[in-house]
Amino acid sequence: MRREGPVIFAALAGLAVVICRFFSTQALKAVKDELDQWYLICTAFMVLVGLINLTRVHLKKVSQKKEGWGYSVVLLAGMYWFVLFGLMRGSLGDPQYAWMFNTFPAPLGATMFALLAFYIASASYRSFRVRTAEATVLLVSAVLIMLGSVPVGKLIWSQLPGIRDWMLSNPNTAGLRGIQLGACVGGMATALRILVGLERGHLGGDV
Amino acid sequence: MSFWEKAQNIDRRVPYTLLIVLIAYILIRPIGLAVEINAITQAAYNNLDKVPAGSIVWLSADYGASSMTELLPAQKAVMRHAFGKGLRVIAGGMWDEGGAMTDYAWQDVRKDFPEKKYGVDFVNVGYKPGGKVLLERIVADAHQALQGIDFYGKSFAELPLMSEFKTFKDAKLIFEFTSGTPGEQDYMKMVTDPLKIPFSAAATAVSVPGIMPFVQSGQMQGLLQGMSGSAQYEVLVKKPGPAVAGMDAQSVAHLLMVVFILIGNIGYLSTRGKKPQSQA
Repeated sequence: MRREGPVIFAALAGLAVVICRFFSTQALKAVKDELDQWYLICTAFMVLVGLINLTRVHLKKVSQKKEGWGYSVVLLAGMYWFVLFGLMRGSLGDPQYAWMFNTFPAPLGATMFALLAFYIASASYRSFRVRTAEATVLLVSAVLIMLGSVPVGKLIWSQLPGIRDWMLSNPNTAGLRGIQLGACVGGMATALRILVGLERGHLGGDV
Repeated sequence: MSFWEKAQNIDRRVPYTLLIVLIAYILIRPIGLAVEINAITQAAYNNLDKVPAGSIVWLSADYGASSMTELLPAQKAVMRHAFGKGLRVIAGGMWDEGGAMTDYAWQDVRKDFPEKKYGVDFVNVGYKPGGKVLLERIVADAHQALQGIDFYGKSFAELPLMSEFKTFKDAKLIFEFTSGTPGEQDYMKMVTDPLKIPFSAAATAVSVPGIMPFVQSGQMQGLLQGMSGSAQYEVLVKKPGPAVAGMDAQSVAHLLMVVFILIGNIGYLSTRGKKPQSQA
């Protein structure tokens, strides 16, 4: 039962959602509403799981004085300060909490993303080489898209923005549509395998 | 090492330094390159423009501080457009920082529209967990799904606008600001395709290729593509802002990357098949 129980529960819950999607009765609607509520509660709980896991990992790092343990102290202090302050004072509706958010996570998050520009500049310089026919196509596409996306592209060649739009609307769309169809078919196959209990990776451990 | 061998292996600190110096210079002394409007951005503008005055539109801020540079200007421009047309705006989000991003936009846009009142013309319901399940539940019962309180902790009972919004069917248009998952595909699956609600979006530049199939199929009417799209929308609402200012810097950055790519490839082609000078 230890092995079969979770599999049966997952299968029943999944089947219930699928059936509720295709048939509409009061009883089925009540079941769906209840499952949705459980989903929302579990989603919120996942934040707690993440908090516990981060605490466990970084406390271990601090206790063992591993390389970079000072950053772990900063992370734990900042994380719990935000959590406790938010629980006591409320979230972004509180002016002090809003100040903390505007001063620390918001600019730091934007900075982290901005750093990508430098990595992309270096990576594109090193990787876009005309070694093969495919690499040449990739290089030419990348250059056309990069220049066509910015105002200076039109100054270099008036057709560049149009070429960029054509590339995004045609070869890109065709390729991605194929990928998305394949991903959907793969997703359906995986879902069916989970429903009939053939796929058990989501249960973890040695179930 | 010959010059062309060196050209293939430029120290990464050189492009890093040039990038930061040029971008900083251009931001301080902009060139003022003209921003052209493309058809897909125009389609998004037209989609919002034809919504009748007094209608409710739903804005979904599904991005965080990391995508703020690209999408916050778009959200401000769209809110300006909506308020200028006399539309009433309710903003929510499936991302945890979405409420804060909407608050940033509101605090800036309200200065240009002092007659707009919170609770009457605009409500920020903030982030609510659940992703696509949240959307499904808003379709059924918005107040129950959104837990009856807004981003600032006010009850919906205190906000007259919310008495007219019971479900997504009460929104005449949905405009999403998306940078990943959950995002536009959830809206299309759960809301806009089943209920036939007009739908436009602003997306980060890296997300644009993946969203283009939905623009082409007509499931999404218009798309603001990265900071370029935000700049175009700022021009359309006649309020150039940070996105327009950033396009000069983005132009220089892209040009610099292309120059380095060309240098690297000229070096590669010049030395292909030849023994390195150090081995000669």
